Amino acid sequence: MVMKNAKNVISALKNKANFWQIDHKVKNIFSTEEITVLPSPKAWEKFNWTRKFFEEKPKEGYFVWVKKEVDFPLSTCITIASPKISQNLKNLLVIEKGIRAKANVVCNAKENNLYGIHKAKGKIILKEGAFLEYNHLHQWGQKDFVSPNYEFFLEKNSRLIYNYKNLLPPENLELKTTIHCSENSSLNLNFVINSLNSKVKVNDSVFLEGKNAQGIVRLRLLGREKSEIEAVSKMFAIAPSRGHLDCQGLLIEKTAKISLIPQLICQNKDSQITHEASLGKISEEELIYLRTRGLTEKEAIDLIVSGFLAI
Amino acid sequence: MQNILLKIKNLKVRCNGKEILKGINLQIKKGEIQILLGPNASGKSTLANVILGNPKYKVTEGKIIFRGKDITNLIPDKRVKLGLAMAWQSPPAIKGVKLSQLLKKISKEELNIPEGKELLEREVNLDFSGGERKISELLQILVLKPNLVIFDEIDSGLDIKKLERVARIIKEKLAEKKVSILLITHSGQILNFLKPQLANVMVNGKIICKAKNFKKVLETIKKYGYEKCKKCNLRSKK
Repeated sequence: MVMKNAKNVISALKNKANFWQIDHKVKNIFSTEEITVLPSPKAWEKFNWTRKFFEEKPKEGYFVWVKKEVDFPLSTCITIASPKISQNLKNLLVIEKGIRAKANVVCNAKENNLYGIHKAKGKIILKEGAFLEYNHLHQWGQKDFVSPNYEFFLEKNSRLIYNYKNLLPPENLELKTTIHCSENSSLNLNFVINSLNSKVKVNDSVFLEGKNAQGIVRLRLLGREKSEIEAVSKMFAIAPSRGHLDCQGLLIEKTAKISLIPQLICQNKDSQITHEASLGKISEEELIYLRTRGLTEKEAIDLIVSGFLAI
Repeated sequence: MQNILLKIKNLKVRCNGKEILKGINLQIKKGEIQILLGPNASGKSTLANVILGNPKYKVTEGKIIFRGKDITNLIPDKRVKLGLAMAWQSPPAIKGVKLSQLLKKISKEELNIPEGKELLEREVNLDFSGGERKISELLQILVLKPNLVIFDEIDSGLDIKKLERVARIIKEKLAEKKVSILLITHSGQILNFLKPQLANVMVNGKIICKAKNFKKVLETIKKYGYEKCKKCNLRSKK
Protein backbone atom coordinates (compact mmCIF):
# COMPACT_ATOMS: atom_id res chain seq x y z
CA MET A 1 0.00 0.00 0.00
CA VAL A 2 2.78 2.41 1.03
CA MET A 3 4.78 1.37 -2.03
CA LYS A 4 1.82 1.97 -4.34
CA ASN A 5 1.07 5.38 -2.81
CA ALA A 6 4.72 6.35 -2.99
CA LYS A 7 4.89 5.42 -6.67
CA ASN A 8 1.79 7.46 -7.44
CA VAL A 9 3.11 10.51 -5.63
CA ILE A 10 6.53 10.30 -7.23
CA SER A 11 5.24 9.69 -10.72
CA ALA A 12 2.92 12.70 -10.44
CA LEU A 13 5.80 14.89 -9.26
CA LYS A 14 8.24 13.78 -11.98
CA ASN A 15 5.83 14.68 -14.74
CA LYS A 16 5.75 18.27 -13.59
CA ALA A 17 9.40 18.60 -12.53
CA ASN A 18 11.26 21.88 -12.97
CA PHE A 19 14.40 19.82 -12.92
CA TRP A 20 14.67 16.09 -13.57
CA GLN A 21 17.98 14.27 -13.68
CA ILE A 22 18.30 10.57 -14.48
CA ASP A 23 21.65 9.01 -13.54
CA HIS A 24 24.00 11.83 -14.69
CA LYS A 25 21.84 13.20 -17.48
CA VAL A 26 19.47 16.14 -17.22
CA LYS A 27 16.21 14.93 -18.71
CA ASN A 28 14.07 17.97 -18.18
CA ILE A 29 14.42 21.62 -17.21
CA PHE A 30 11.49 23.95 -16.87
CA SER A 31 12.28 27.61 -16.20
CA THR A 32 9.81 30.45 -16.11
CA GLU A 33 10.09 34.20 -15.83
CA GLU A 34 9.62 33.81 -12.09
CA ILE A 35 11.85 30.80 -11.47
CA THR A 36 15.31 30.29 -12.95
CA VAL A 37 16.31 26.63 -13.14
CA LEU A 38 19.78 25.55 -14.33
CA PRO A 39 22.14 22.64 -13.91
CA SER A 40 24.53 23.66 -11.12
CA PRO A 41 27.68 23.77 -13.38
CA LYS A 42 25.92 26.32 -15.63
CA ALA A 43 24.76 28.40 -12.66
CA TRP A 44 28.39 28.49 -11.44
CA GLU A 45 29.41 29.97 -14.78
CA LYS A 46 26.47 32.31 -15.28
CA PHE A 47 26.00 33.77 -11.79
CA ASN A 48 29.17 34.65 -9.93
CA TRP A 49 27.28 35.11 -6.68
CA THR A 50 26.42 31.40 -6.57
CA ARG A 51 30.10 30.48 -6.17
CA LYS A 52 30.23 31.32 -2.47
CA PHE A 53 27.44 28.80 -1.92
CA PHE A 54 28.77 26.06 -4.15
CA GLU A 55 32.32 26.52 -2.76
CA GLU A 56 33.79 24.56 -5.69
CA LYS A 57 32.67 24.08 -9.26
CA PRO A 58 29.90 21.49 -9.22
CA LYS A 59 29.80 18.59 -11.64
CA GLU A 60 26.09 17.94 -11.40
CA GLY A 61 23.01 19.02 -9.52
CA TYR A 62 20.47 21.78 -9.79
CA PHE A 63 20.19 25.50 -9.18
CA VAL A 64 16.72 26.90 -8.54
CA TRP A 65 16.22 30.62 -8.00
CA VAL A 66 12.72 31.75 -7.06
CA LYS A 67 12.51 35.47 -7.82
CA LYS A 68 8.77 35.96 -7.94
CA GLU A 69 5.86 34.15 -6.43
CA VAL A 70 4.17 31.41 -8.46
CA ASP A 71 0.92 29.63 -7.83
CA PHE A 72 2.32 26.14 -8.43
CA PRO A 73 4.85 24.14 -6.39
CA LEU A 74 8.34 23.95 -7.83
CA SER A 75 9.68 20.45 -8.07
CA THR A 76 12.91 18.61 -8.62
CA CYS A 77 13.57 14.94 -9.16
CA ILE A 78 16.84 13.03 -9.08
CA THR A 79 16.59 9.44 -10.24
CA ILE A 80 18.97 6.51 -10.39
CA ALA A 81 17.89 4.24 -13.23
CA SER A 82 21.05 2.27 -14.16
CA PRO A 83 23.17 -0.14 -12.10
CA LYS A 84 26.12 1.10 -10.03
CA ILE A 85 25.63 4.80 -10.72
CA SER A 86 27.39 7.17 -8.35
CA GLN A 87 25.83 10.60 -8.19
CA ASN A 88 27.55 13.51 -6.53
CA LEU A 89 25.21 16.45 -6.60
CA LYS A 90 25.62 20.03 -5.52
CA ASN A 91 22.28 21.78 -5.26
CA LEU A 92 21.33 25.36 -4.53
CA LEU A 93 17.85 26.73 -3.92
CA VAL A 94 17.34 30.43 -3.30
CA ILE A 95 14.02 32.00 -2.32
CA GLU A 96 14.05 35.74 -2.71
CA LYS A 97 12.85 38.30 -0.16
CA GLY A 98 9.24 38.01 0.91
CA ILE A 99 8.44 35.20 -1.54
CA ARG A 100 6.24 32.28 -0.52
CA ALA A 101 7.11 29.00 -2.18
CA LYS A 102 6.49 25.30 -1.98
CA ALA A 103 9.06 22.78 -3.19
CA ASN A 104 8.54 19.09 -3.80
CA VAL A 105 11.93 17.41 -3.90
CA VAL A 106 12.13 13.77 -4.91
CA CYS A 107 15.13 11.45 -4.96
CA ASN A 108 14.55 7.87 -6.01
CA ALA A 109 15.81 4.68 -7.61
CA LYS A 110 13.88 3.19 -10.48
CA GLU A 111 14.65 -0.39 -9.53
CA ASN A 112 15.24 -2.22 -6.30
CA ASN A 113 18.73 -3.68 -6.88
CA LEU A 114 20.79 -1.04 -8.69
CA TYR A 115 23.53 -0.66 -6.06
CA GLY A 116 23.46 3.10 -6.62
CA ILE A 117 25.24 5.83 -4.69
CA HIS A 118 23.48 9.13 -4.23
CA LYS A 119 25.43 11.86 -2.52
CA ALA A 120 23.93 15.32 -2.40
CA LYS A 121 25.23 18.47 -0.85
CA GLY A 122 22.82 21.33 -0.90
CA LYS A 123 22.23 24.82 0.35
CA ILE A 124 18.82 26.37 0.70
CA ILE A 125 18.63 30.10 1.27
CA LEU A 126 15.47 31.78 2.53
CA LYS A 127 15.95 35.49 2.20
CA GLU A 128 14.33 38.03 4.50
CA GLY A 129 10.62 37.35 5.03
CA ALA A 130 10.54 34.37 2.67
CA PHE A 131 8.44 31.29 3.34
CA LEU A 132 9.21 27.80 2.11
CA GLU A 133 7.41 24.52 2.51
CA TYR A 134 10.02 21.97 1.54
CA ASN A 135 8.72 18.45 1.02
CA HIS A 136 11.57 16.02 0.59
CA LEU A 137 10.66 12.47 -0.47
CA HIS A 138 13.00 9.52 -0.74
CA GLN A 139 12.26 6.21 -2.39
CA TRP A 140 15.25 3.92 -2.77
CA GLY A 141 16.17 0.41 -3.68
CA GLN A 142 17.32 -2.05 -1.05
CA LYS A 143 20.98 -1.92 -2.06
CA ASP A 144 21.51 1.83 -2.43
CA PHE A 145 23.78 4.11 -0.43
CA VAL A 146 22.33 7.54 0.13
CA SER A 147 23.94 10.51 1.79
CA PRO A 148 22.24 13.90 1.64
CA ASN A 149 23.84 16.80 3.45
CA TYR A 150 21.69 19.91 3.39
CA GLU A 151 22.25 23.27 4.99
CA PHE A 152 19.45 25.80 5.37
CA PHE A 153 19.90 29.51 6.01
CA LEU A 154 16.83 31.27 7.36
CA GLU A 155 17.27 35.01 7.11
CA LYS A 156 15.40 37.52 9.25
CA ASN A 157 11.60 36.93 9.51
CA SER A 158 11.69 33.92 7.21
CA ARG A 159 9.88 30.66 7.82
CA LEU A 160 10.65 27.10 6.84
CA ILE A 161 8.53 23.99 7.05
CA TYR A 162 10.71 21.03 6.16
CA ASN A 163 8.99 17.66 5.79
CA TYR A 164 11.24 14.70 5.05
CA LYS A 165 9.76 11.29 4.37
CA ASN A 166 11.70 8.20 3.64
CA LEU A 167 9.03 6.10 1.91
CA LEU A 168 11.30 3.23 0.92
CA PRO A 169 14.64 3.10 2.72
CA PRO A 170 18.00 2.29 1.11
CA GLU A 171 20.52 -0.12 2.62
CA ASN A 172 22.49 2.82 3.99
CA LEU A 173 21.20 6.27 4.69
CA GLU A 174 23.24 9.07 6.18
CA LEU A 175 21.07 12.12 6.50
CA LYS A 176 22.75 15.26 7.71
CA THR A 177 20.83 18.50 8.12
CA THR A 178 21.99 21.84 9.47
CA ILE A 179 19.70 24.80 9.92
CA HIS A 180 20.68 28.35 10.81
CA CYS A 181 17.86 30.51 12.13
CA SER A 182 18.25 34.29 12.14
CA GLU A 183 16.23 36.92 13.97
CA ASN A 184 12.48 36.23 14.14
CA SER A 185 12.76 33.30 11.81
CA SER A 186 10.90 30.10 12.47
CA LEU A 187 11.45 26.45 11.66
CA ASN A 188 9.27 23.36 11.70
CA LEU A 189 11.24 20.28 10.84
CA ASN A 190 9.37 16.98 10.53
CA PHE A 191 11.40 13.87 9.75
CA VAL A 192 9.82 10.48 9.16
CA ILE A 193 12.56 7.86 9.01
CA ASN A 194 11.62 4.42 7.88
CA SER A 195 14.01 1.47 7.92
CA LEU A 196 13.99 -2.07 6.58
CA ASN A 197 17.22 -4.10 6.38
CA SER A 198 18.88 -0.69 6.64
CA LYS A 199 21.51 1.21 8.50
CA VAL A 200 20.37 4.75 9.05
CA LYS A 201 22.23 7.65 10.56
CA VAL A 202 20.33 10.86 11.17
CA ASN A 203 22.18 13.91 12.29
CA ASP A 204 20.34 17.20 12.53
CA SER A 205 21.52 20.44 14.11
CA VAL A 206 19.49 23.58 14.55
CA PHE A 207 21.26 26.83 15.43
CA LEU A 208 18.96 29.47 16.89
CA GLU A 209 21.27 32.35 16.11
CA GLY A 210 18.97 35.35 15.96
CA LYS A 211 16.83 37.04 18.58
CA ASN A 212 13.33 35.45 18.85
CA ALA A 213 14.20 32.64 16.48
CA GLN A 214 11.99 29.59 16.96
CA GLY A 215 12.60 25.98 16.08
CA ILE A 216 10.56 22.83 16.45
CA VAL A 217 12.03 19.49 15.41
CA ARG A 218 9.94 16.34 15.25
CA LEU A 219 11.65 13.04 14.54
CA ARG A 220 9.74 9.81 14.02
CA LEU A 221 11.95 6.75 13.71
CA LEU A 222 10.50 3.45 12.60
CA GLY A 223 12.61 0.35 13.17
CA ARG A 224 11.51 -2.49 10.95
CA GLU A 225 13.16 -5.83 10.25
CA LYS A 226 16.95 -6.06 10.63
CA SER A 227 17.44 -2.33 10.75
CA GLU A 228 19.60 -0.07 12.84
CA ILE A 229 18.91 3.61 13.32
CA GLU A 230 21.19 6.07 15.06
CA ALA A 231 19.81 9.55 15.47
CA VAL A 232 21.44 12.60 16.99
CA SER A 233 19.28 15.67 17.15
CA LYS A 234 20.88 18.85 18.45
CA MET A 235 19.50 22.27 19.17
CA PHE A 236 21.72 25.21 19.98
CA ALA A 237 20.22 28.33 21.58
CA ILE A 238 22.75 31.03 20.85
CA ALA A 239 20.49 34.10 20.93
CA PRO A 240 17.36 34.65 23.08
CA SER A 241 15.18 32.11 21.36
CA ARG A 242 12.86 29.16 21.83
CA GLY A 243 13.12 25.62 20.61
CA HIS A 244 11.77 22.14 21.13
CA LEU A 245 12.90 18.66 20.11
CA ASP A 246 10.29 15.90 19.92
CA CYS A 247 11.96 12.60 19.09
CA GLN A 248 10.13 9.30 19.11
CA GLY A 249 11.06 5.87 17.92
CA LEU A 250 8.93 2.79 17.42
CA LEU A 251 10.39 -0.70 17.15
CA ILE A 252 8.19 -2.91 15.01
CA GLU A 253 10.41 -5.99 14.86
CA LYS A 254 12.62 -7.75 17.39
CA THR A 255 15.58 -7.46 15.01
CA ALA A 256 15.45 -3.66 14.90
CA LYS A 257 17.63 -1.32 16.95
CA ILE A 258 17.27 2.39 17.53
CA SER A 259 19.61 4.71 19.34
CA LEU A 260 18.50 8.25 19.90
CA ILE A 261 20.34 11.21 21.39
CA PRO A 262 18.47 14.48 21.73
CA GLN A 263 20.87 17.20 22.75
CA LEU A 264 20.15 20.72 23.97
CA ILE A 265 22.92 23.28 24.08
CA CYS A 266 21.95 26.57 25.66
CA GLN A 267 24.35 29.47 25.38
CA ASN A 268 21.96 32.26 26.24
CA LYS A 269 20.19 32.74 29.55
CA ASP A 270 17.13 34.31 27.92
CA SER A 271 16.37 31.34 25.75
CA GLN A 272 14.29 28.29 26.42
CA ILE A 273 14.82 24.95 24.75
CA THR A 274 13.10 21.72 25.70
CA HIS A 275 12.88 18.15 24.54
CA GLU A 276 10.84 15.00 24.82
CA ALA A 277 12.07 11.64 23.64
CA SER A 278 10.83 8.09 23.74
CA LEU A 279 11.66 4.73 22.22
CA GLY A 280 9.45 1.71 22.50
CA LYS A 281 7.35 -0.97 20.97
CA ILE A 282 3.70 -0.90 19.95
CA SER A 283 1.45 -0.81 22.98
CA GLU A 284 -0.28 -4.14 23.60
CA GLU A 285 -3.32 -2.31 24.90
CA GLU A 286 -3.69 -0.25 21.70
CA LEU A 287 -3.25 -3.39 19.65
CA ILE A 288 -5.93 -5.37 21.47
CA TYR A 289 -8.23 -2.33 21.46
CA LEU A 290 -8.12 -2.18 17.67
CA ARG A 291 -8.48 -5.95 17.38
CA THR A 292 -11.67 -5.74 19.43
CA ARG A 293 -12.84 -3.45 16.66
CA GLY A 294 -12.42 -6.28 14.16
CA LEU A 295 -9.00 -5.38 12.74
CA THR A 296 -6.49 -8.17 12.20
CA GLU A 297 -3.15 -7.91 13.99
CA LYS A 298 -1.48 -6.63 10.81
CA GLU A 299 -4.22 -4.08 10.12
CA ALA A 300 -4.02 -2.85 13.71
CA ILE A 301 -0.21 -2.48 13.55
CA ASP A 302 -0.44 -0.65 10.22
CA LEU A 303 -2.98 1.79 11.65
CA ILE A 304 -0.94 2.47 14.80
CA VAL A 305 2.20 3.00 12.68
CA SER A 306 0.39 5.35 10.30
CA GLY A 307 -0.75 7.37 13.31
CA PHE A 308 2.76 7.41 14.76
CA LEU A 309 4.14 8.76 11.50
CA ALA A 310 1.42 11.37 11.04
CA ILE A 311 3.28 14.53 11.99
CA MET B 1 -32.07 -23.32 22.29
CA GLN B 2 -31.50 -21.36 19.08
CA ASN B 3 -32.65 -18.31 20.94
CA ILE B 4 -29.49 -18.40 23.07
CA LEU B 5 -26.88 -16.06 21.60
CA LEU B 6 -24.12 -16.34 24.19
CA LYS B 7 -23.54 -19.26 26.51
CA ILE B 8 -20.72 -19.32 29.02
CA LYS B 9 -20.13 -22.62 30.79
CA ASN B 10 -18.07 -22.97 33.97
CA LEU B 11 -15.50 -20.40 32.82
CA LYS B 12 -12.30 -20.19 34.82
CA VAL B 13 -9.69 -17.57 33.96
CA ARG B 14 -6.24 -16.67 35.20
CA CYS B 15 -4.13 -13.56 34.71
CA ASN B 16 -0.54 -13.16 35.93
CA GLY B 17 -0.82 -16.45 37.81
CA LYS B 18 -3.94 -15.43 39.73
CA GLU B 19 -7.36 -16.99 39.24
CA ILE B 20 -9.82 -14.19 38.57
CA LEU B 21 -12.91 -15.93 37.24
CA LYS B 22 -13.84 -19.00 39.23
CA GLY B 23 -16.51 -20.81 37.25
CA ILE B 24 -18.82 -18.38 35.47
CA ASN B 25 -22.11 -19.52 33.96
CA LEU B 26 -24.06 -17.04 31.86
CA GLN B 27 -26.60 -17.17 29.06
CA ILE B 28 -27.85 -14.26 27.00
CA LYS B 29 -30.75 -14.61 24.59
CA LYS B 30 -31.26 -12.76 21.36
CA GLY B 31 -32.56 -9.24 22.02
CA GLU B 32 -32.12 -9.60 25.78
CA ILE B 33 -30.66 -6.98 28.08
CA GLN B 34 -28.81 -8.20 31.16
CA ILE B 35 -26.82 -6.34 33.74
CA LEU B 36 -23.73 -7.42 35.58
CA LEU B 37 -23.23 -5.74 38.92
CA GLY B 38 -20.36 -6.17 41.30
CA PRO B 39 -17.82 -4.40 43.50
CA ASN B 40 -14.42 -3.23 42.24
CA ALA B 41 -12.07 -6.04 41.25
CA SER B 42 -14.80 -8.67 41.30
CA GLY B 43 -13.92 -9.74 37.74
CA LYS B 44 -16.58 -7.92 35.66
CA SER B 45 -14.17 -6.26 33.23
CA THR B 46 -12.13 -9.47 33.05
CA LEU B 47 -15.23 -11.34 31.93
CA ALA B 48 -15.90 -8.71 29.24
CA ASN B 49 -12.30 -8.93 28.01
CA VAL B 50 -12.34 -12.74 28.00
CA ILE B 51 -15.56 -12.81 25.98
CA LEU B 52 -13.85 -10.56 23.39
CA GLY B 53 -10.69 -12.69 23.42
CA ASN B 54 -8.11 -10.43 25.07
CA PRO B 55 -4.97 -12.67 25.06
CA LYS B 56 -3.85 -11.19 28.38
CA TYR B 57 -6.28 -13.55 30.10
CA LYS B 58 -5.90 -17.32 30.03
CA VAL B 59 -8.96 -19.55 30.03
CA THR B 60 -8.08 -22.58 32.12
CA GLU B 61 -11.47 -24.28 32.10
CA GLY B 62 -14.89 -23.89 30.57
CA LYS B 63 -16.31 -22.73 27.26
CA ILE B 64 -17.67 -19.66 25.53
CA ILE B 65 -20.28 -20.43 22.89
CA PHE B 66 -21.49 -17.60 20.65
CA ARG B 67 -24.15 -18.14 18.00
CA GLY B 68 -23.69 -21.88 18.47
CA LYS B 69 -19.96 -21.76 17.85
CA ASP B 70 -17.25 -22.48 20.39
CA ILE B 71 -15.21 -19.26 20.40
CA THR B 72 -13.13 -19.99 23.51
CA ASN B 73 -9.90 -20.05 21.51
CA LEU B 74 -10.86 -17.71 18.67
CA ILE B 75 -8.80 -14.56 18.01
CA PRO B 76 -10.50 -11.24 18.87
CA ASP B 77 -11.06 -9.94 15.33
CA LYS B 78 -12.85 -13.14 14.34
CA ARG B 79 -15.14 -12.85 17.36
CA VAL B 80 -15.98 -9.30 16.28
CA LYS B 81 -16.73 -10.52 12.78
CA LEU B 82 -19.15 -13.04 14.30
CA GLY B 83 -21.05 -10.14 15.89
CA LEU B 84 -19.49 -9.49 19.30
CA ALA B 85 -18.53 -5.99 20.41
CA MET B 86 -17.39 -4.26 23.55
CA ALA B 87 -17.34 -0.64 24.68
CA TRP B 88 -14.22 -0.21 26.77
CA GLN B 89 -14.31 1.34 30.19
CA SER B 90 -10.96 3.14 29.74
CA PRO B 91 -10.04 2.96 26.06
CA PRO B 92 -6.46 3.83 25.10
CA ALA B 93 -5.58 6.79 22.85
CA ILE B 94 -4.43 6.01 19.32
CA LYS B 95 -2.14 8.91 18.52
CA GLY B 96 -2.22 10.34 15.04
CA VAL B 97 -5.34 8.39 14.03
CA LYS B 98 -8.52 10.41 13.67
CA LEU B 99 -11.77 8.90 14.89
CA SER B 100 -13.20 9.33 11.38
CA GLN B 101 -10.30 7.23 9.99
CA LEU B 102 -10.91 4.47 12.48
CA LEU B 103 -14.65 4.44 11.87
CA LYS B 104 -14.07 4.24 8.13
CA LYS B 105 -11.70 1.34 8.61
CA ILE B 106 -13.98 -0.74 10.83
CA SER B 107 -17.44 0.17 9.59
CA LYS B 108 -19.74 -2.13 7.74
CA GLU B 109 -21.83 0.79 6.59
CA GLU B 110 -21.86 4.57 6.88
CA LEU B 111 -22.76 5.94 10.26
CA ASN B 112 -25.86 8.02 10.24
CA ILE B 113 -26.39 9.58 13.64
CA PRO B 114 -25.95 13.21 14.58
CA GLU B 115 -24.01 12.42 17.77
CA GLY B 116 -20.29 12.93 18.16
CA LYS B 117 -19.60 14.80 14.91
CA GLU B 118 -17.31 17.14 16.84
CA LEU B 119 -15.07 14.19 17.70
CA LEU B 120 -14.56 12.84 14.20
CA GLU B 121 -11.54 14.94 13.28
CA ARG B 122 -9.82 14.43 16.62
CA GLU B 123 -7.28 11.72 17.39
CA VAL B 124 -8.96 8.63 18.87
CA ASN B 125 -9.45 9.10 22.64
CA LEU B 126 -6.58 11.59 22.87
CA ASP B 127 -7.47 14.21 25.49
CA PHE B 128 -11.12 13.15 25.28
CA SER B 129 -13.21 13.93 28.34
CA GLY B 130 -14.93 11.01 30.08
CA GLY B 131 -18.17 11.77 28.23
CA GLU B 132 -16.44 12.11 24.87
CA ARG B 133 -14.82 8.70 25.31
CA LYS B 134 -18.17 7.10 25.91
CA ILE B 135 -19.65 8.70 22.79
CA SER B 136 -16.59 7.63 20.78
CA GLU B 137 -16.98 4.04 22.03
CA LEU B 138 -20.63 4.07 21.17
CA LEU B 139 -19.99 5.33 17.63
CA GLN B 140 -17.47 2.55 17.07
CA ILE B 141 -19.91 -0.06 18.38
CA LEU B 142 -22.70 1.19 16.13
CA VAL B 143 -20.70 0.95 12.90
CA LEU B 144 -19.76 -2.65 13.73
CA LYS B 145 -23.44 -3.70 13.52
CA PRO B 146 -23.05 -6.28 16.31
CA ASN B 147 -25.45 -8.96 17.59
CA LEU B 148 -24.27 -8.63 21.16
CA VAL B 149 -22.63 -5.66 22.88
CA ILE B 150 -20.90 -5.59 26.23
CA PHE B 151 -20.87 -2.12 27.74
CA ASP B 152 -18.19 -1.91 30.41
CA GLU B 153 -19.22 0.90 32.76
CA ILE B 154 -20.67 3.05 29.99
CA ASP B 155 -22.42 5.10 32.68
CA SER B 156 -19.37 5.94 34.78
CA GLY B 157 -18.23 9.56 34.82
CA LEU B 158 -21.23 10.85 32.87
CA ASP B 159 -23.43 13.71 34.01
CA ILE B 160 -27.16 13.11 33.89
CA LYS B 161 -27.65 14.82 30.50
CA LYS B 162 -24.89 12.84 28.84
CA LEU B 163 -26.05 9.63 30.47
CA GLU B 164 -29.52 10.23 29.07
CA ARG B 165 -28.05 10.89 25.63
CA VAL B 166 -25.96 7.70 25.73
CA ALA B 167 -28.86 5.62 27.03
CA ARG B 168 -31.16 6.98 24.32
CA ILE B 169 -28.71 5.94 21.59
CA ILE B 170 -28.30 2.46 23.10
CA LYS B 171 -32.06 2.08 23.29
CA GLU B 172 -32.90 3.36 19.81
CA LYS B 173 -29.96 2.01 17.84
CA LEU B 174 -29.40 -1.29 19.62
CA ALA B 175 -32.06 -2.48 22.07
CA GLU B 176 -35.02 -1.67 19.84
CA LYS B 177 -33.26 -3.46 16.98
CA LYS B 178 -33.05 -6.65 19.05
CA VAL B 179 -29.32 -6.43 19.67
CA SER B 180 -28.45 -8.25 22.90
CA ILE B 181 -26.77 -6.19 25.58
CA LEU B 182 -24.71 -6.98 28.66
CA LEU B 183 -24.40 -3.85 30.77
CA ILE B 184 -21.61 -3.88 33.30
CA THR B 185 -22.40 -1.19 35.77
CA HIS B 186 -21.12 -0.13 39.10
CA SER B 187 -23.64 2.47 40.05
CA GLY B 188 -26.66 1.21 38.15
CA GLN B 189 -27.45 4.78 37.04
CA ILE B 190 -28.12 3.76 33.46
CA LEU B 191 -30.96 1.54 34.69
CA ASN B 192 -33.12 4.62 35.00
CA PHE B 193 -33.23 4.54 31.20
CA LEU B 194 -32.76 0.90 30.20
CA LYS B 195 -34.70 -1.99 31.62
CA PRO B 196 -32.84 -5.29 31.84
CA GLN B 197 -34.57 -8.64 31.88
CA LEU B 198 -32.01 -10.16 34.23
CA ALA B 199 -29.58 -8.87 36.84
CA ASN B 200 -26.37 -10.76 37.65
CA VAL B 201 -24.23 -10.00 40.67
CA MET B 202 -20.58 -10.95 40.60
CA VAL B 203 -18.45 -11.12 43.74
CA ASN B 204 -14.93 -12.45 43.87
CA GLY B 205 -14.95 -14.06 40.43
CA LYS B 206 -18.32 -15.79 40.76
CA ILE B 207 -21.83 -14.85 39.81
CA ILE B 208 -23.57 -15.22 43.13
CA CYS B 209 -26.99 -13.93 42.20
CA LYS B 210 -29.28 -13.92 39.19
CA ALA B 211 -32.61 -12.19 39.57
CA LYS B 212 -35.28 -10.80 37.29
CA ASN B 213 -36.21 -7.96 39.59
CA PHE B 214 -33.21 -5.70 39.04
CA LYS B 215 -34.70 -2.89 41.14
CA LYS B 216 -34.79 -5.09 44.20
CA VAL B 217 -31.26 -6.26 43.53
CA LEU B 218 -30.09 -2.68 43.40
CA GLU B 219 -32.01 -1.78 46.56
CA THR B 220 -30.50 -4.75 48.38
CA ILE B 221 -26.99 -3.81 47.30
CA LYS B 222 -27.53 -0.21 48.33
CA LYS B 223 -28.87 -1.26 51.69
CA TYR B 224 -26.54 -4.10 52.62
CA GLY B 225 -23.58 -3.90 50.24
CA TYR B 226 -22.29 -6.69 47.99
CA GLU B 227 -20.97 -8.87 50.78
CA LYS B 228 -24.45 -9.49 52.05
CA CYS B 229 -25.70 -10.44 48.59
CA LYS B 230 -24.77 -14.02 49.32
CA LYS B 231 -27.32 -14.20 52.09
CA CYS B 232 -30.06 -12.43 50.17
CA ASN B 233 -33.33 -14.29 49.50
CA LEU B 234 -33.65 -12.79 45.99
CA ARG B 235 -31.24 -15.45 44.76
CA SER B 236 -33.93 -18.06 44.70
CA LYS B 237 -36.51 -15.84 42.99
CA LYS B 238 -35.49 -16.28 39.40
